[in-house]
Amino acid sequence: MTLSASLNGAEQRRPSRFGRMLENRLPYLIVAPAILILLLVGLFPLIYSLIVSFQRITMTENDTSFVGLLNYAELFRDTRLWASLGHTAVITAVALPLEFLIGFLMAQLFIDRLPGRQLFVALLVLPTVISPIVAGATWRLMFDVRFGPIGQILSFFAGEPVRILWTVNPAYVYPAIIICEVWQWSPFMFLLLLAALSNVDQSQLEAAEIDGASYLRVLRAVILPSIAPVVAVACLIRSLDLVRIFDIVWALTEGGPGSITETISLYTYVQGFSQFETSYTAAISFLVIALLTVITTLVLKRMELAR
Amino acid sequence: MKFKTFFGATALFVLTAASGSAADKDAADTAVEAAKKYAGTTISIVWEAGLQSLDPLNYSGPQWEKLTGIKVKVVEVPTDQMFTKIMQDFKSGAGAYDALNVIPSWMPDLARAGALEPLDKYVDKFGYRDELQDIAAAYRDNQMQYDGKIYGFPDDGDVMLLYYRKDIFEDPKMKEQFKAKFGYDLAPPKDWKQFDEIGQFITDKMAPKVYGAGFFRTAPYPQYMFQERFRTEGGKFFNADTMKATVNSDIGLKVFKGMLAENKFMPPGVEQWNFVDNLAAFLQGTTAMTISWPPYGRWAAGYGSGEEALKWVPKSQVAGKVGYALTPLGRPELGVGFDLSVSATSKNKEAAYLFIQWLNSKKTSLERVQLPYTLRDPFRLSHYASEKYRSLWPDATAYLDTIKTSGEKGLLDLSLLQQDKYDEAMTKAISSLWAGEDAKAILDRLAQQFDAITEKVGIENQKAVYKVWAAKPGAYPQ
Repeated sequence: MTLSASLNGAEQRRPSRFGRMLENRLPYLIVAPAILILLLVGLFPLIYSLIVSFQRITMTENDTSFVGLLNYAELFRDTRLWASLGHTAVITAVALPLEFLIGFLMAQLFIDRLPGRQLFVALLVLPTVISPIVAGATWRLMFDVRFGPIGQILSFFAGEPVRILWTVNPAYVYPAIIICEVWQWSPFMFLLLLAALSNVDQSQLEAAEIDGASYLRVLRAVILPSIAPVVAVACLIRSLDLVRIFDIVWALTEGGPGSITETISLYTYVQGFSQFETSYTAAISFLVIALLTVITTLVLKRMELAR
Repeated sequence: MKFKTFFGATALFVLTAASGSAADKDAADTAVEAAKKYAGTTISIVWEAGLQSLDPLNYSGPQWEKLTGIKVKVVEVPTDQMFTKIMQDFKSGAGAYDALNVIPSWMPDLARAGALEPLDKYVDKFGYRDELQDIAAAYRDNQMQYDGKIYGFPDDGDVMLLYYRKDIFEDPKMKEQFKAKFGYDLAPPKDWKQFDEIGQFITDKMAPKVYGAGFFRTAPYPQYMFQERFRTEGGKFFNADTMKATVNSDIGLKVFKGMLAENKFMPPGVEQWNFVDNLAAFLQGTTAMTISWPPYGRWAAGYGSGEEALKWVPKSQVAGKVGYALTPLGRPELGVGFDLSVSATSKNKEAAYLFIQWLNSKKTSLERVQLPYTLRDPFRLSHYASEKYRSLWPDATAYLDTIKTSGEKGLLDLSLLQQDKYDEAMTKAISSLWAGEDAKAILDRLAQQFDAITEKVGIENQKAVYKVWAAKPGAYPQ
């Protein structure tokens, strides 16, 4: 038998049925263990929490029987819960645009290749690497009415003592939280937007410049549409983080004075870990999951339409 | 017959000798001897984070290990998380903690949940009942038991004292001007009206160098001051028959308005003061009066000022100038306190029990309350009477006498089922007060929150617990 004949024979010898099955399924089998672990770690707690939300587990009761929608009905009667969602919405609605604006302006400043740019970028990004609880505690000291530098600087410019109780006066608690939050997370926006702006098509910019378009026109017609997908993702990530905000608020005000800065995360923590309303806390968690899912879906759909 | 008589006499002699030996051994020695069989094990104890845990970290833990061979692992937890951590450990069944520090007002919840080990059998086994009688009645009779069983040993004589600047109060010029204005002698205030008058007077005369008074105002402690003032003014937390909250009565409003008005003669920014801010202000001589727990008195006297652990405490500028008195209206809040308990899920219950018996014993506790850095305050009759303690600084005798009297007249913290929820509601109400919200609106909301908590716990359940608590001599002023 010639070599070619034997090769032809080999070509014509098809793999067995088992071999074909194995070949088709091999990629899935390889990733299966990792997927199973992810499901176990991610999905199991979710399903377990869902089950707990239909039970009645509190500090003193361990009733694991099905109680129907009792906890979910309680959600709608809980004014403190809805107040905390409102507080969270306020913080998100104010902080997110500010973070975007500051991040965008900073990115515009650094878009050109200036000497020392990398060093400055590294310094600007430092707030983001600090733990949020540390950031909150530090700003609490900065806002201190007797020893904090903020008060002293304001007093210097005002020419008289300025005594603002940032963490007690209702008029100033939200600005205090938002200042700390924006200070810490604008660099995150800055990084993403810097990368996005760096990839804007230079030829379009040059063409617009040649055509005599103003900066605002260029911004509206060329830059923003180019970076829109990155902006959408950045804003989505930050808004999800803002909805879950905890550390900064806890360090600054612990949800006070009273409950006026109590966010949904703080309230959930208090219900779950101070008051051991375990089943009710599970129900709150699913409410938050539902709200965030709606927001995320709407944003992603909007992105799809834009494309 | 002769043999029987001889045998009986011998047996009697042996038994008498043995019981005599046992009587000679105090509770500390008994605990040490019994614990030696657990040498090589490690027990963990939950302790309030910060200064409180310096005691087990630097003194009692190493000492216990030296005596018994048992290692002590101190689990430091911030006060406002201690209840959470203890319950989490219990509910998960992890058994990570052996011994616990428990705030007495939590005892009903923890005991009912089954998180605390009843200690009676250990107390009897290791002969600790006698020494328990030396604990001051205010703590022994109110902070040790729930439902007739011992669940913890009171280990901290927390009680609010009024500290005042003797030098200012005894200044001839100040005395003369005050008497001329108000018609009574400048002295530690007997009621809150006098407190306000004295405070404002001193501020008018001496601010900004010295203000009339300062208090801690931030969570979680001001609610204890509210509890005291509300009751000493005649208020009751609940209607005992209906369990409807009555904190929003005229008395509640009077107290809230009084607390708010005081801020005007206190240093600017007092609304943000915590325990340390208030301490620093008093030690630096910025405030002429304050109310707080006993450690202020020791540190104001300069006791322990050379200690490394107390480096963070501002050096006292008022040593030798501080007087001690009962709080206005003479019924101070006991305020917090700590019990030593054993976790029901501990895997080393007896070893844990022996450690807390040793800690709490007459001998060991006397050493512990004299540690310069301790936050554990005298709580035994033998502590108050200790000649050694009385000689620690010139005014230590007056200090101990005031603590003893304050304890005797002390008001118990409100202690109901799910007390932490009532505490949280009071804390939030007070912070709303500093924020400028209408006092009546805050109190009405507080009453509603109290009612909602009571309803959730079960009105009849809570009524039964409240009835027991309210019947205690220290619950309401007689």
